[in-house]
Amino acid sequence: MENRTSAPPGNGGKGLSALSLTVPVAMGYIPLGAVFGFLFVQAGAAWWLAILASVFVFAGAAQYMMIPMLAAGASIGGIALATLILNLRHVFYGLSLLNRMPSSGLKRWYLVFGLTDETYSLLTALPATASHRQMLLITLLNQGWWVLGSAIGAIAGAQARIGLAGLDFTLTALFAVLAVEQWRTRKGSAPLWVALAAYGVAYLLAAPHALVIAIALCIVAGVFRRAGASDEVEAK
Amino acid sequence: MIETGYVLAVIFAMGLVTFALRALPFVADHWLRRQPVVQRLGQFLPLAIMTLLLVHSAAGAAGSHPGGPWPELAAVALVVALQWRSRNALLSIGVGTAVYVLMRNGGF
Repeated sequence: MENRTSAPPGNGGKGLSALSLTVPVAMGYIPLGAVFGFLFVQAGAAWWLAILASVFVFAGAAQYMMIPMLAAGASIGGIALATLILNLRHVFYGLSLLNRMPSSGLKRWYLVFGLTDETYSLLTALPATASHRQMLLITLLNQGWWVLGSAIGAIAGAQARIGLAGLDFTLTALFAVLAVEQWRTRKGSAPLWVALAAYGVAYLLAAPHALVIAIALCIVAGVFRRAGASDEVEAK
Repeated sequence: MIETGYVLAVIFAMGLVTFALRALPFVADHWLRRQPVVQRLGQFLPLAIMTLLLVHSAAGAAGSHPGGPWPELAAVALVVALQWRSRNALLSIGVGTAVYVLMRNGGF
């Protein structure tokens, strides 16, 4: 359908191949999006706000994190800070795609906006000859799956409130999954031990603010750990 | 009910922060590459933050019921083991949550 006159032979199925590339992402995004939408509505927010969040934020872990914070009435600044910390890793994604993105225009900034963990891994796996149009299609499809899942979950959640204790454990489980994946690519185990110690100290100091205090302690440790870090890398 | 205006403000703030982070390399590439502190934090923070979020949300769940943190510890251990072996996030989260819900509603 696309580029019928100018495309070289064999490229006629670009749309189809982008679709098939995003199928594994759809298998994850639709159910995880549905869980987000469901828990969001169960926490007491309007269903359409769940869809809006998936359209304008499009960051899975941060959206999961916002639910208990919204329910607790956390400050907007506090939620923004938590989002900043949780999504800090995205700064490093763009660095490896600098030369692949369109140089200007709406297309460029939408691709930048849509750079989730999963979209990043698909885009970096594309051959260097992939067109901007194909990159755009992949990003649009991925966000489409996420929004679709959120809508399904939000609408289902608005129909019935489930009294089953412990369903919100999905958030804890998601963090456990992400921690395991970070552990797999680790340079050393220091971040794990520093985080556990920081949380212990913060919890004893002021349990209601334990997370924010512990994050601050970890940032300080991360900035000032030069000597220890190089030892550990050498020891590996 | 959570107030709509508050949620809209939160969505706006989160969207802005997330977009700014994703866009930063495209506007400040050279500056970023020259900052050693950026590299250090990039290596250190992701695992530290995920560990904190995991411990914090598990502690919150443990505090919501009497009887000690045993269901949380067991379910987190199960999720970690499943994810370590299978790398299938959906499987790990689904089985872990199902087992946790069973433990919480089954009188454990």
